[in-house]
Amino acid sequence: MHATSILSTWAGLLPAQHEAAGAAAQVAGAVDGPAIAALAPLLPLLSFVLCGLCAAFKVRSKLPAWITVACLAASFAAVVATTLDLREAGAGSVMVTPLFDWINYSWGTEAGQHFRANFAFHIDSLTCLWMLFVTGLATLIALYASEYMSHDVGMGYCRFFAAFSLFVFSMACLVMGDNLVLLYLGWEGVGLCSYLLIGYFYKKPSAVAAAKKAFIVNRIGDLFLALGIMLCWVHFGSVEYREIFARVGPSLELLREGKVDQIPGIVQLIPLLLMVGAFGKSAQLPLYVWLPDAMEGPTPVSALIHAATMVTAGVYLIARTYPLFLLSEYALPIVGWVGALTALLAATIGMAQFDIKRIMAYSTVSQLGYMFCGLAVLGSVGAAAHVFTHAFFKAMLFLSCGAVMHGFAGQLDLRKLSGVAFMKGWGVVGIAMFVGCLNLAGFPVITAGYWSKDMILGDAFATPGMQAIGWILLLTAGLTAYYTFRVFFRVFVGPKHFEPGDELHAHDDHGHGHDDGHGGHGHAAGHAPSHADFHPHAPGWAINLVLGILAIAAFAAIVPLMTGGDNGPWLASMVDGSSAKYLGVAASQAAHAAGHGDGHAHATFFGYDAHKAMMVVSGVVGFIGILIAYLLHYAGRTTAARSKADSLLPAFGPLATAAQHKWYVDEIYDLLIVKPLWVISNIFALIDKYVVDGLVDFLGWAPRAIGRSLRPSQGGELHGYAIGMAGGIAVLVLIVLLVTF
Amino acid sequence: MIERLAYLWPEIALFIATCVVMVMGLSRTYATRKATATIAALGTFSAAVLSFLTTPDGGEIEAVSGQLYLASMVPYAKTLIGAVATLLLLTMAGTVDRAEEADIAKGVRSFDPLRSNRAEFYAFFLFSITGLMLCADADDLIWLFLALELTSLPTYIMVAMSTARNRGREAGVKYFFLGAMGAAVFLYGFALIYGAVGSTNLNEIAVAFATGGISSLGMLGVLLSILGICFKIAAVPMHFYTPDVYEGAAPQVSGFLAFVPKTAGFLSILLICGAVGWNYVIPPDGVSPLATVMPSAEGTQLPEVLRLTLWVIAALTMTVGNVLALLQTSVKRMLAYSSIAHSGYMLVGVIVGPGIAADSFSGNGVAAVLFYLLSYGVMNAGVFAVLAALERAPGRDGEPREIETISDLKGLCRSHPMLGWPMVICCLSLLGLPPLLGFFGKLPLFTAAIRAGEIPLVLVLGVNSAIAACYYLKLAFAPLTEVADDADGDPIVAAPFRTRAAAAVISAACVIGLALGGNLLMQGARSAASYTEADAIKSRVPQANAAPVDRNVAAH
Repeated sequence: MHATSILSTWAGLLPAQHEAAGAAAQVAGAVDGPAIAALAPLLPLLSFVLCGLCAAFKVRSKLPAWITVACLAASFAAVVATTLDLREAGAGSVMVTPLFDWINYSWGTEAGQHFRANFAFHIDSLTCLWMLFVTGLATLIALYASEYMSHDVGMGYCRFFAAFSLFVFSMACLVMGDNLVLLYLGWEGVGLCSYLLIGYFYKKPSAVAAAKKAFIVNRIGDLFLALGIMLCWVHFGSVEYREIFARVGPSLELLREGKVDQIPGIVQLIPLLLMVGAFGKSAQLPLYVWLPDAMEGPTPVSALIHAATMVTAGVYLIARTYPLFLLSEYALPIVGWVGALTALLAATIGMAQFDIKRIMAYSTVSQLGYMFCGLAVLGSVGAAAHVFTHAFFKAMLFLSCGAVMHGFAGQLDLRKLSGVAFMKGWGVVGIAMFVGCLNLAGFPVITAGYWSKDMILGDAFATPGMQAIGWILLLTAGLTAYYTFRVFFRVFVGPKHFEPGDELHAHDDHGHGHDDGHGGHGHAAGHAPSHADFHPHAPGWAINLVLGILAIAAFAAIVPLMTGGDNGPWLASMVDGSSAKYLGVAASQAAHAAGHGDGHAHATFFGYDAHKAMMVVSGVVGFIGILIAYLLHYAGRTTAARSKADSLLPAFGPLATAAQHKWYVDEIYDLLIVKPLWVISNIFALIDKYVVDGLVDFLGWAPRAIGRSLRPSQGGELHGYAIGMAGGIAVLVLIVLLVTF
Repeated sequence: MIERLAYLWPEIALFIATCVVMVMGLSRTYATRKATATIAALGTFSAAVLSFLTTPDGGEIEAVSGQLYLASMVPYAKTLIGAVATLLLLTMAGTVDRAEEADIAKGVRSFDPLRSNRAEFYAFFLFSITGLMLCADADDLIWLFLALELTSLPTYIMVAMSTARNRGREAGVKYFFLGAMGAAVFLYGFALIYGAVGSTNLNEIAVAFATGGISSLGMLGVLLSILGICFKIAAVPMHFYTPDVYEGAAPQVSGFLAFVPKTAGFLSILLICGAVGWNYVIPPDGVSPLATVMPSAEGTQLPEVLRLTLWVIAALTMTVGNVLALLQTSVKRMLAYSSIAHSGYMLVGVIVGPGIAADSFSGNGVAAVLFYLLSYGVMNAGVFAVLAALERAPGRDGEPREIETISDLKGLCRSHPMLGWPMVICCLSLLGLPPLLGFFGKLPLFTAAIRAGEIPLVLVLGVNSAIAACYYLKLAFAPLTEVADDADGDPIVAAPFRTRAAAAVISAACVIGLALGGNLLMQGARSAASYTEADAIKSRVPQANAAPVDRNVAAH
């Protein structure tokens, strides 16, 4: 089994013993964190309460949006302040800000008889990194949503921003919690908010179905996460990160000595369970099916929750508990293969879709796959870097799509829009889209997306036994470049043409008007008499401002990636200063610094250093993808509906159709899981009706029957009661006498 | 004796208030008579504050009271008594002389000093609370008996005068006769204990039991004492009076009955069981339980005989209370039966005792009982306050009538949200729904019993909690449902006494608020329940070691 060989290689990569011990001691002796850190989650909570009050007082203005934007901006400021504090405390320091005792229960004085999961915030560089982009992006997207959701000012507006704020609060709990239980609270909280926001247009059946699907599929992952947390407690006697990392020592020691088979099975099981939880939340095989459907929610939600933040929670979980993952023989290889296959599968589906928002959704699934691979190939820096850059450019891509949707009455079909960037008032959107596409496609050198993807690819080729994953990812990079620019060349450039969507009066994708009877003429070609009257609704200042900022930010993301202080680039130092480091630091040192002479195996790419080779190879692959998209979808295209690619479709035959139908995964799940479960549930329903209900009826009947038999004793007669009392005493004394003599 | 006075400040305050109320009750002016309620409230409130301020640092109390076991229970118990009594007093407004006072307000009739019973009622209330606090202090059987009777005697009269109807008088008479019978039983038990030990001092009794074992006579005395006190806590087989009396009395007085005598009874049972001690072992097979009624160093339970008796009483009390409550349609009868069931729950804590790990709350049955008394007192006051705050509009006879059935409560959350929601919250808490106070009351009973290995009893407790859920949910959901067609005619209105509604709201707020601050209260209950083991008694009273040995030799 080559997993074992990988593991022994990792053992070689381990830092020297004293280093790990030092890290453990440092982690255990955390200092009190700044109080301002507590504001980061509390301000969104405040905003949630205020938005709730707005709903209670039936506010019919944009007040909830401004409350949310202000609170989130203040929260972002609190995170920045915390980061600066952390920086003063020095690299690799861990601080804990306790808020209040939440669960603190002991039933004895011995070890393991104390359960503590307090509302306390674990602040290290990984936390700060995550919180920076979560709160920063949330602020921008809330600003965007203030305009985007303006058609719903009133109750819906309050509801949207309340759920939005609650999401940021939950995400902050997830990221900042100093124990797995608080993480779980946040985990469920973001799941709930995701459900609420996907189902925002609750009158639209497809939105409700999508919300339910997201919630239910996530439950599967959550179950495993809960089991993993329980096992953590069972084995380590704590759910607090500091304690767990301090107690992981003996097993790390075994790993270092190569005695992998002596690591207790339970320890090896924990990461496998946590991993499934991460797959659910981060939409990986086999639990990715909910994410594309989640695009039924309003676009700002798709951008924030289903592209930039919530779906990276799985990556965060693995990065946070990285030491645990290192202890399992199978966990990281599985993570890697699942990530790689998800990346490839989602990319192939994305190539064949026509709905631009859905393409972006599949691209998110695919990019999340990259991040998981990054973790699996010991490149936690690369994974975190990709999370970071992806958050910006993917949010921007979604917001651009949202602007199109907003302006063209819900039109998202790339065959019905063309040359949007050249229309009046759409310049900023076009530029933002272009920047986003360049990043996603990994255009060489100038884009942040290129550098972060490159780190993962380089690490994959540099890690022994992981080259296959590297090749898959390289292929995926080409596909990504193709489908990304397919959207760009079809929708944003080329001859100007548009057909509005079916939500003419509302300018948006909400379902309130669907049963008004005008849905019928929506998609028919050459259809609507109202087409002539329709004017695209160019985005206003808020949307343009946010897109502009994000376009700059997406480029600026290179700066933390490439520059920094003494500890290497800023972003790498942030990741290395946290629990995601243990081996990550060794691996990246081995790869980048002068550590090549250490004697351990270090794979190469056809004899070249993998990282240097990747800079060229991935750049070329990305470029080829863009070139193909240009040739097929731009060069010589005169209509919106058709391009040269269509003529190639027959060559692919059933493959193209299957990709268009998402490889029939939903149908397969339906056949293999949903239908059998449905049959079983019907059988159980019968059992419930006749067996369980019968039992319950009996249980309900029995106490009543006893009561009825006792009732005559309560006749209301004084002497009857007196006899009852005397008799009762006599009987009890008699029993005692019988028992004792 | 003098040093004990320093430690009786809450009772002294209450007694002063009682005297003031009684003297003012002789006044010829209406205004002075009216002020008695305020004085009574001041009395209970200051008693609560004084009890809280005398919160010990253990050692001092021990030295002063001379009571070696359960000494720190006193301040906790008195504080909770004072607080709940203040809450109950709020519901008492307008209980007596309502018709006369209404007439006076209307100017139909002028004030007649001879016809006003107001001051007496409040004086009896205060006497009863004084007796209850004295129960907590008791270190002597005679003291305990007097305190118990001081608690009970006023309640008989309060029941009789609480309503103008005959039903209330019938209930009062019934309660008095049966109560006298109960008192006779435990007085007989006390006499037998005295006969066996030769002392009425609980402390000396404890030492005698710890060093010389418990003779059959002594055990019979303990059993009869506890059986007699079962009347106060309304446990099987002394429970028969409960539904009739609760139904006959005005709801606010029923609420009073469900807390005051019950608390007195439990404090007394804890004191008596404390004297016996919880450090006995289960007798090995084939050996008569009485043969080993000798405390042992490894023991963690009551003497087997006593444990068995309490076990049977607890199981029967829970079950009888709950199954009969299930059948009721009258709210007050249902609550009366459920109050029987709650006594059964608390007896589980008595059986378990301080447990092996006395310093952890979850394993300490005594702490669980003390905490449950507090939570039950609050929830119970809330439910009865809602009932007291509602009435039917005066019908043909011109008198407002109480509400009777559960369906009378329908739609209450809509029509009177300040009464409906407290009802819902208090009922859910009585049922033990997790985030509320009742849950935190019941949880330690379960954990303590599990840790003590009383698994069958835990199962009985669990099944009974499930049965209780049936009728409490019925009661909790009635206010939430829409109003049914009211065939009965007279609409249901709020009684014109704001303090009753205020008591309901305060109770509901406490049910939520205390649950949030529950940790602190639990710590309080835990330290209140710190129990000095009999071993400690031995070491503190070295001369006691010699005497019982002689006695044993003489017996042989």
